[in-house]
Amino acid sequence: MAGIKNRNVTRRTLLKIGGAITAVPLVGFAAPGVLAQGQTKSPTKVLDFMTNADVAKAEQEGQLVFYCHENEPGTAGIVEGFHKDFPKINTSYVRAQTGALYNKILSERSAGRFDVDVIQLSDLAPAVDFQKKGGYEQYVSPESPAYKAEHLSSPVGSFFWTGVDPAGIAYNKAKVTPSEAPKTWQDILDPRWKGVISCKISASGLQFVQWYALRKLYGPGFWKEFAKQNPHAFDSRVQLFDRLAKGDDKITAIGEYPAYILFKDKGANVEFVAPPDGLVATPLIVGAVSKAPHPEAAKLFVDWAMSKRGQAWYQTNPNLYYGSVRTDAPPMPTGVRLSEFKLLYPADWDDYASQRDVFSKEWNGMLGL
Amino acid sequence: MQVSHPAGPVSAAPTPHIEVHGLELYYGSVPAVRGVSFNVLPGEQLTLLGPSGCGKSTTLRAIAGLEKPTSGEIRIDGVPVYSSTHQINVPAEKRRLSMVFQSYAIWPHMTVFDNVAYGLRVRRASAPEVIDKVGHALSLVQMSEFAGRRASQLSGGQQQRVALARAFVFSPSVLLFDEPLSNLDAKLRADMRIELRDLQHRLGITSVYVTHDLEEALAMSDRIAVMRDGLIEQTGTPDEIYRLPRSAFVADFVGSANLIRGRLRADLAVNDLIALETSAGHVVYCMAYGRPVRAELVVSVRTVHLTISSDRPAATQNVWSARIGKTVFQGDFTQVHVDWGDQHLIARGAAMEPIAVGQEVYITVDPKRVVLLDA
Amino acid sequence: MTVPTVESARTWFSAQKIAGYGAAAFAAVFVLYPVYFLLQAAFDVGDPQVRPPTSYGLDNFSGLFQFPQILLNTVNVSLAATVMALVFGFVMAWILARTNVPGRRLFEQLMAVPYYLTPLLGALAWSLLGSPESGFINQIWRALGGHDHLIDINTGYGIAWVMALFEGSVAFVMIAAVMKSMDPSLEEASQVIGASRLRTMLRITLPLVVPGVLGAAIFVFAEMLGSFAVALVLGLPSRYYVVTTAIYQLVQQYPPKIQTAAAMGVSLFAVMFIMLFLYRRIVMAGSYVTITGKAFRPRVADVGSLRYVLLGVCVLYVFVAVALPLATLLYASVQKIAVAFPVAGNWTLDNFRTAMSMNAVRSALGNSLLLGFGTATIGVVLMGLLAWLIYRSRLPASGLMEYIVMFPQAVPRLVFAFGMMWAWVVFPIPIYGTLWLLLIAYITVFLPLGVRTIAGVMLQIDKSLEECAQMCGASWAFRVRTVTVPLLVPGLVAAWLLLFIASVRELGASILLMGPHSKVITPSIVESWFGTSSELTATLALIQTLVVAIAMIVLVAVTRRVGAQPVD
Repeated sequence: MAGIKNRNVTRRTLLKIGGAITAVPLVGFAAPGVLAQGQTKSPTKVLDFMTNADVAKAEQEGQLVFYCHENEPGTAGIVEGFHKDFPKINTSYVRAQTGALYNKILSERSAGRFDVDVIQLSDLAPAVDFQKKGGYEQYVSPESPAYKAEHLSSPVGSFFWTGVDPAGIAYNKAKVTPSEAPKTWQDILDPRWKGVISCKISASGLQFVQWYALRKLYGPGFWKEFAKQNPHAFDSRVQLFDRLAKGDDKITAIGEYPAYILFKDKGANVEFVAPPDGLVATPLIVGAVSKAPHPEAAKLFVDWAMSKRGQAWYQTNPNLYYGSVRTDAPPMPTGVRLSEFKLLYPADWDDYASQRDVFSKEWNGMLGL
Repeated sequence: MQVSHPAGPVSAAPTPHIEVHGLELYYGSVPAVRGVSFNVLPGEQLTLLGPSGCGKSTTLRAIAGLEKPTSGEIRIDGVPVYSSTHQINVPAEKRRLSMVFQSYAIWPHMTVFDNVAYGLRVRRASAPEVIDKVGHALSLVQMSEFAGRRASQLSGGQQQRVALARAFVFSPSVLLFDEPLSNLDAKLRADMRIELRDLQHRLGITSVYVTHDLEEALAMSDRIAVMRDGLIEQTGTPDEIYRLPRSAFVADFVGSANLIRGRLRADLAVNDLIALETSAGHVVYCMAYGRPVRAELVVSVRTVHLTISSDRPAATQNVWSARIGKTVFQGDFTQVHVDWGDQHLIARGAAMEPIAVGQEVYITVDPKRVVLLDA
Repeated sequence: MTVPTVESARTWFSAQKIAGYGAAAFAAVFVLYPVYFLLQAAFDVGDPQVRPPTSYGLDNFSGLFQFPQILLNTVNVSLAATVMALVFGFVMAWILARTNVPGRRLFEQLMAVPYYLTPLLGALAWSLLGSPESGFINQIWRALGGHDHLIDINTGYGIAWVMALFEGSVAFVMIAAVMKSMDPSLEEASQVIGASRLRTMLRITLPLVVPGVLGAAIFVFAEMLGSFAVALVLGLPSRYYVVTTAIYQLVQQYPPKIQTAAAMGVSLFAVMFIMLFLYRRIVMAGSYVTITGKAFRPRVADVGSLRYVLLGVCVLYVFVAVALPLATLLYASVQKIAVAFPVAGNWTLDNFRTAMSMNAVRSALGNSLLLGFGTATIGVVLMGLLAWLIYRSRLPASGLMEYIVMFPQAVPRLVFAFGMMWAWVVFPIPIYGTLWLLLIAYITVFLPLGVRTIAGVMLQIDKSLEECAQMCGASWAFRVRTVTVPLLVPGLVAAWLLLFIASVRELGASILLMGPHSKVITPSIVESWFGTSSELTATLALIQTLVVAIAMIVLVAVTRRVGAQPVD
C-alpha cells in the first residue's frame, strides 16, 4: 500500500509533463524533442524505430516478463516478435483472460510482488483503474505521435492501444444458409438460435464492450432476450470458432474478425457478418508496469509495440491479426483497412467503466454463476 | 529364597541384577501392569508366567525400555534405568540388555551372519572380532553352516536359533525372552526348551523369560512369577509354585487342580492338620502351610494326587466314597470325573484299573497334598 | 560396565525429536497456513479489496443458496460418477480376482493405466468423441442414418461417465484389495452346505465385501466432489457447473468473487471432511471378518465358457478407458479440423510442429518433470519421516499429526491452491511465482497420498524388527539406516513413482499457482484448450502422455537395477 502512495506522489510530478504531452499530436514532429525534456536522454534509433530506452541496459537486463490477456499462441507470438528483434532479451509470459489477469496483478502488487514488466489487457476499464492505482510506469514513447490522442492514455504515458479487436456475427455455412444467416445484431435474438449460439465469458473485455454498446443501442431488454437463447460461453475466440467450424454451435454472437481470418486460412466453413450498426470493438491496451524488474526492457518493448514494425507484427501474425490504429497503418491481411469498418466503441469510457459490476452480475447470472 | 546355581556367585546375599519396584503401566486409562515388584539375581532365570493379557509381556518390554511405564522404578545393576520420581527413562539401546522376540525378528534383508553380527557392529567391533564371535555364537546354536544364507530361507526353528545367537553374541548383561518358543511346533518346542536352558547355564547370563506355557516355565526357570491382571499372584521356585499354589488362580493355571470349599471344623483338627466340612458334609483334612486359617476355607487338590480305588483304602483321613461320572482317555493318562456329593472332582492317573461309569468307588488323597489357599 | 546415565537419555531424544517434530512442523505449516487464509476469506464480509478483512460474518455462506443449480449439479455428477465407478470397479475386481478369465495378470496391470492417463486426457478425448454435433461418435451415427445425436458428453451424465471411467481404476484397486483379503473358506463353507454359486455370491460374498465397497464408495464420492478437470473441459460448453469449476470461474472473473469462492470452497471442504471421516470410521471399525491382515489366495471360480464373455467385458473396459481416448487424440492431432471421417487435404503434422515450437510447453514439460522429481524425492523423505512419526513412534501428538497430514485429502486441490496463492503471496520469502511454490504445493497436497502409501508398507513390517535393532544397542539414526529404510525400500520406490506421476499430472493446484517462470504442463494443456484449437490441445496431451510414459519406463528400469543390488 505504501508503495502505491509513494507512486502517487511521483505521478503528480509527472502529471505536469503529461499535461504538456497531450499537445504532442498538434506539435507534430517537434514532439520527440519536447518529450526528451522529461527523459534523461534523447531518443535513439534502434532498428527502424525510436526509443527512449537504453537498449544496452535493456539487453543487460536480458529479460522481459509479459502479462497478456491473449490466448497462448497469440501471447507467445507477441513476445516471439520482440525476441526476434532483440535476441539478447529473453521473454516469458503469463496469459489469462483480462479479468483474471487483472486480479492476479492486483493481488501480487498488494502483497508487494513486482514480477511483471509489461501488461496487455483487452479492456479499457481495468487499464484506467490500474492507471489510477499508479500501476503503470509513466513513459512517453517517441512513437506516440503516430497515434491519435483517443488511442493513448490520458494523460499520455501510461498505456496505448496496440490494436483493435473488432467483432461481428459469425456462422457455420454448412449449418446455416446465407438467407437464414443473421444480418443485424437483433437477429441473434431469433429463437431459431436457441441452444446453438455462443458468446464469451464475463472475464472478457470484448464481451463487456459488446454488452455495453448494444445495450446503449437497443436498451437493457436486448440482453434479457439474449439470455433466453441459452448461449454457450467460452474464454477465447479460438474456442468459439473451433466450435463454430465443427458445427457444435451454429452461430456466434461475438465473432471476432481476427479469429475469422485464422479459421478461413485453415479452410473452415465459416462466414463473417458485419451488422450495419457497426462492429463492436475493444482496444487492446499495452503499458509498461511500474516497479518493473526490467524497466529498460519494458520501455523498449512499448516502443517496439508502438512502432510500425511492431504494429505490422501484431497485424499479420495469424494468432493475433489485430487491427492497427496507428495513423499510418497498412491494410489488414484481408486487404481491408480497420478504418473501413464502422466500429462501435463506448462513447463514454468512464460510464462504461462504472458499469462493470452491472455487467458481471447480469452476464454471470445469465450463465448460471 | 535363593537357588544355588552353577554360574551364580558363591558369596552370600548378592545384590539383585534387576530390580523392579512398584511398576505401573497404563495405556491411556487401561491398566496393563498395576504395581509389580520383583528382583532377579545375577545369573538367575526368572520366568513371568500367566495367561495372555496378564501384563507379563508388558512388564518385560518395560524392563527392555520398549514401553514407557506410568510409574515405578526399574534398576539394573543398582542403577535406575526408569524412575518416575526421578524422571529417568534410559532408552532401550542404552540399557545393555538383549532380547529374543516372539516373532524372531530376523531381518529378511540380511544374511544370517549379518543378522548375528549386527550388535557387534553397533558396538564397532573390529572385523576379526566380529568373525570370531559370530562364528562362536553360530556354533553354539548349531547354525554355522547357514552363515551365508538369507534369513528368509530359514525354517522357524532355524530362525529362532539365529535370533538367539544374535541376542547373546555381544555379551549383554541381561537376556530377555518374549515367548520365544510359542511359534514353534510342539516337538521342536520341547527340544528348544532344553537347548535354551543349557545355553543359559553355559553363558551364566541373567535372564527374564515370558511365557504362558506352564511346562516351559517349570522346565526352564530358577524362579517363576505368576501374573494375573497386571499383578503378581505368586513368586517362587517351580516346585513351590506347583506344590503350594497360593491362590485358586495359580492352583488352576499351574497344572489342573480341584478346588474344594468348606467351613472350618476346628474341633476336628489333628496335629498340624486342619479340617473343613463341605456343604455335602464331607470332612477334608488339609495343611495350612502358614496361610491364615479363616472360617470359610478353600483348598486345592491336584488332579494327579487323587487316587481312585474300588476297595476302601487303609488311610483314615480323606477317604470318601464317590461315583464315576465319565472317563476320558488322553494317552499318557486317563482323566476320571467323579460325582462327590454335590460337586465333581477330577482325577488323573497313568494306570487306572478299568472302571465303569456309575460304579461306586473310594477316592482318597494325602492331607499334605491338600493345600490351603490364601484367599 | 558403563552405566547408563540421564545424560544419554537426553541425547537419544534429541535426534529422534528433531527429525520427527521438524517434519511435523513443516507439515503443519504447509497444511494449516493456507487453510487459515482460506477461512479468513470465507468469513470476510468486508470490502473484498481490503486485507486483512475489516469485518467477519456468515453472509458468504448464506449467499451460496443463490446457486442451487450448482450444488445440485455437483451432487448429481458425483453420485452418478460414484455409482458408475463402483460398478466398473466391482465388476472388474470380481472378474480379475475371482474368476479364471484369461489374461488376468495383464488386465490387472492394464487397470492401472487409466489412473496414469489422467481424467483430463479422458475429458479431451471424450469431448472429441461425444460432443453432440462434432463428436466422432455422433458424426458416425448421423452417417449411419441416425438423427440429431446419439450421445451428448456435455451433460452431467457425460461428465460423470468420463470421471467414472478414470476413477473406476481407483475403485477397482480398493475393491480388489478387499476381495483378495477375504478368506475363501467362508465361501467354501456356504457351498459345502449346498448353496448355489449365485446364492453364495449374494448371501456370502456380497455382505462380506460390503464394508470395503462402502469405504470405496465414500472415498470415491469425496474424490468426485473435489474433481475439476473433467467438469471444466466438458461442463463449460453446456454451462454445466459444479462447485470446483464455479470456484474457478468466480476467481478468474473480474471483479473476482473471492469471498463467495472461498465460502464455496470451505463448504465443499466441510462436506468432504465429513465423508472422509465416515470413510475412516468404516475402514477402522468395519474391518469385519475380511481384513485379517493375511493375504489369502483367493479362490478362483471356474466360470466355464462364460470366461470369454468376461474377457470381452475386460477388453471393452480397457478399450473405452485407454485405447479409445488415446486413438482419438492421435487421430485428432494429425488433422487440421478434427472430423470423424478422413478427408483428403485435412491431414497435417503442423500441430506437432507448433506444439514442439511452443516455448511455453517445452519449458512447462521440463518444469513438470523437474518438479515431479523434486516432489517425489523430497516427498519420500518427508512423508517417510511423517509416516514413521505417526504410525511407529510413540511420541505424543502423533494422532493429531495424522489428522493434519490427512487434512489435504479433504480439501479440493483447487481450493487449497486458492488458499496457498494468498498465503504465499504475502510470505516474506519470495517464493511466489517460482517453482518452489509449486513444489511446496505438490508436497502439501500429496501428503495424504505419500504418507498412506509409505505407512501401508511400514505397517506390514513387524515392529519387532526395529525393536530388535534397538535392543542390539543401535541408536535411532543407525537403526533407521540399517533396518527401517532397507526394509521400506520397495514401499519407498512405489511411493516415489506415485508421487512423480501425481505431480506431473497435477492440475487443480497448479492452475492458480503457475507463474511466468514456473509453467507446468497440465495447466498449459488446459490453457491450450481454452485458447487454441482442440487439435493442438490433443497433440499436447499426447506429447505429455508419451513423455511421462517414457520417464516412467526409464525410472522403473533404473529402480529395478538399483533394487536388484543387495542392500547392505
